[in-house]
Amino acid sequence: MAAIGTTAKQHYVERFGATERMEHFILVISFSMLAITGLPQRYASFQIAKDFIQLLGGIESIRIMHRFFATLLMAGSIYHGGALTYKVYVRGSSLNMLPTVKDARDLIGWVMYNLGLSKAHPKMGRYNFGEKAEYLALVWGTLVMIATGFMMWNPIATSKFLPAEVIPAARLAHSSEALLAVASIIIWHMYNVHVRRFNRAMFTGKMAVHHMEEEHALELVAIQEGTATPVVPAEIITRRHKRFWPYAIVMTIVLTIGLIFFVSFEDSAIDTVPRQPVSASVTIDPDAGVAEAGATKWQTLRCAECHGETGEGVPPIPAFSVADFDFKSFATATQRGPADMPAYGPNQISEQDLADLYAFLRSTSE
Amino acid sequence: MKRILRHQRHIFTFCFGAGLALVMIALWPSSSPSQSVFQHPVVEAQEDSGTVAKQPTGNNAYCAVCHSQEGRTVELADGTSLDLHVTPDMITNSVHGTSNPEGVLGCVDCHGEDAFPHVEARPESSRDFTIKASQVCTECHVDEAKGQADSVHSRGLENGNQRAAVCVDCHGAHDVRPIKDHPEVAAQVCGTCHTSIFDEYQDSIHGQALLVEGNTDVPTCITCHGVHGINTPTTAQFRNRSPELCASCHADEDLMAKYDISTNVFDTYLNDFHGTTVAMFEQDDPDVASNKAVCYDCHGVHNITPADNSKSQVAKANLLATCQQCHPNAASDFPDAWVGHFEPSRDRHPLVFAVDLFYKVLIPGVLGGFVFLVGTDIFARARHIGGKKGKGHPAPDSEVLAKSDPKKEG
Repeated sequence: MAAIGTTAKQHYVERFGATERMEHFILVISFSMLAITGLPQRYASFQIAKDFIQLLGGIESIRIMHRFFATLLMAGSIYHGGALTYKVYVRGSSLNMLPTVKDARDLIGWVMYNLGLSKAHPKMGRYNFGEKAEYLALVWGTLVMIATGFMMWNPIATSKFLPAEVIPAARLAHSSEALLAVASIIIWHMYNVHVRRFNRAMFTGKMAVHHMEEEHALELVAIQEGTATPVVPAEIITRRHKRFWPYAIVMTIVLTIGLIFFVSFEDSAIDTVPRQPVSASVTIDPDAGVAEAGATKWQTLRCAECHGETGEGVPPIPAFSVADFDFKSFATATQRGPADMPAYGPNQISEQDLADLYAFLRSTSE
Repeated sequence: MKRILRHQRHIFTFCFGAGLALVMIALWPSSSPSQSVFQHPVVEAQEDSGTVAKQPTGNNAYCAVCHSQEGRTVELADGTSLDLHVTPDMITNSVHGTSNPEGVLGCVDCHGEDAFPHVEARPESSRDFTIKASQVCTECHVDEAKGQADSVHSRGLENGNQRAAVCVDCHGAHDVRPIKDHPEVAAQVCGTCHTSIFDEYQDSIHGQALLVEGNTDVPTCITCHGVHGINTPTTAQFRNRSPELCASCHADEDLMAKYDISTNVFDTYLNDFHGTTVAMFEQDDPDVASNKAVCYDCHGVHNITPADNSKSQVAKANLLATCQQCHPNAASDFPDAWVGHFEPSRDRHPLVFAVDLFYKVLIPGVLGGFVFLVGTDIFARARHIGGKKGKGHPAPDSEVLAKSDPKKEG
C-alpha cells in the first residue's frame, strides 16, 4: 500500500491507490451536488435559494437531481463497504480508522504545540485524529442521511413499520445533519487540505515525505522500516479470496437490490398521483331508476338546456355518452361537476332523480 | 281690427309651435332603425372626453305613466313574456336614486329616448334583453366593465352560453342594491346560480358566521374569487396562489387574535414539503400545474369546517381519507407524518422536538470545536512566520526529518 518513491524534485510516499482516489472523486461529486441541490431546499424561504432553485430548473428538477446524487452516494457507500472488507479481511490491514486513546492524546498534544505550551509536535500514524474525526463523521452522516432520506423518499412504507412522526423528525434531522456536514467540510476539511497546505494526495496519490513527517510521522517510520503493510503469504491471500468474493458478490447483489428498492419503492412522495376525486356517496340502487320519469326530469331539471335531448350537447357544451359512466361515476360527475359543469348536490338532484336520469340515458343509448 | 288681432294671436301661436317643433326635432337624438335602444348618446360623450359627461336626467314621470302599472307584460318572439312593470320608487330607492351623488337616473339614461309609441324592435327573448341591457351599465361603470371583460362569465357569454351572469343578474336592474359592505348579499347573489356551492358554503364555518351571525370578517364568495374579473378557479395559477389567499386573513395577527386562531398556519405550511413546493411554483412557474396539497385540498373548499367538527376533512377520523386523495396507499398511521401546523414541543411531537434539540447542541458544538482547532493552527503558523520572518509551517521536531526539504514546500 505505502511505499517511498522519488520524483525528480522530491521524495514522496505513495499514499492512495487509484481506486481510493476514484472513491474520493465520486464522493466529492455526490457530496457537493447533494449540498448544492439540498441546502437551497432547507433555506427555500430565502430569495437567493429561490433564485438558485430556478437556475437549476425549478423545485421538481432540483429534487430529482438530489435523488440522483443520493443514489450515487449510496452506490459509492456499497463499494466502500466492499473495499474496506477486502483491505481488512484479505490484506490484513488493521482498522486504522477507528479512534484510540492515542488520538485523544495527539489532539491535546497538537493543541498544546499550537498554543506554544509544548515543544513537541505529536507523531501520528496513517490516519491522524483529524482525519479519523472526519471519516467517522462522514460514516455517521452518511448513515443518518440514508436512513432519514429513506423515510422521506418512502413515507408510506416508513409509516407502516415505524410511528409516522419519524418522518417530520427525519426531515429535520436530514437538513440539520446536512448543515453540519457542509459546514464541517468547509471549516475543517477545506482548511486542513486546501488552505493550510494544498494536500494533493487524494488527486495524485502521493504525499511528500516532509509533509508526512508533520502529519503521519509514525507511518513514515513504519514505511521506512517496512512494517507499514502487513505481510500476508500468497497462499493465505488466495484462500481468503475464495471466501471473500462469494461474500462480496452476494452482498453487492443484496445491497444493490436494496438500493433499487429504496429508490423505486413508492412514488407518491415524488410524483404525487393525480388527485382521486372523492366519489359521490349514493346508496340508491340504479335499477330503481325509471326511464320515463328520467325523460321528464331531464327536461324539468334543465339538463337538456346544455346537454341536448339525449346528451349530444348544445354548442359549446360537448357531447357525452352515458356508456362511459357507471352509476357511481355518473353520480360523482353530477355532484362534483366535471370541467365547467356546475356541481348539482343532492338538494338539487336527489338520488332518485339520478337513478331516473341514468335509466333514461341508458334507454336512449340502447 | 279685432278679428285681425285674433288672427294675429293664432298666427303667433302657430309660429311659436312650429318653431318649438323644429327646435325639438333638431335636438331629438337621431335614431336609425339599425340602432339599438341601448346605444345611448352617453357613449359618444365618453369617447370624446373619456369621462361620463352626461348628467342623469332623473325625471321618470313620463315613462311611469305606463310602466308603473302592474301586470304590464309584452310577449316576445320566443314566447317568453317580459315584465314591463317598473315604478319610479324602484329607481329612487336604488343606488341610482336619491343616494346617487350624480343625481337620480332617468329611464332614458339607460334605455334611450324611445318615446311612446316605441319604434324599436322588440328583443328576441327576455334573456337577450337582459344581456343587452347590461351592456349599458358598462358605459358609466368603466373600471368594472374592464374587469368583467376577462372574467369567466364574459367568456362564457362570448362562447355562446346565454346563461352566463351579466351585470343585471347580480346587481338587479332597477332596484340595484349596494353590495359593498354587505357581503351576505354577495353570497346570496352568487348562490342564485351556484346553488350547490352556496349550500356547501352555508354549512361551512365561514358561511355560518356570515349568514347566521352576520360576521363580516369572514370571506364571502367575492373575497376569494374576485368581484368582476372572476377567473376560473381551476387554473394552475389560482391553485398555486391559493395559500396566499387564505393567508391574507389567516396570517393576519390582529384579525386572528379576535378568534384565538393561530397565525402560524401559513409559515408551518410553507416549511413543509407541500408548502415549499407550492411556494416555489407560485414564484417560478405560476402557470405550471402542481398537485402538491394547498390549504383547500385538506381543509375543503367551500365546506371548510374547523378540525374539531366531525364533518371536517381534517378531523382526526377523516384525515386518512384526506391524505389518500393523493397518497392512495397511505396506511392508517400515515397522517401522523404531518405535524399539523404545530411547532413541535415536548408534549406535541416530542421526537421532532428532540431531534431539533439534539442538533441545536451538536451543530454549534462540533463547528465550535473545529473553529477552535483551526484557530490554534492559524495562531501557531502566524507566530511561527512572525518568529522566522519567512514562509513555512511550524517544523515539527523530528528525527526523521533528514530527507525533508521545506524549501520545496508548494
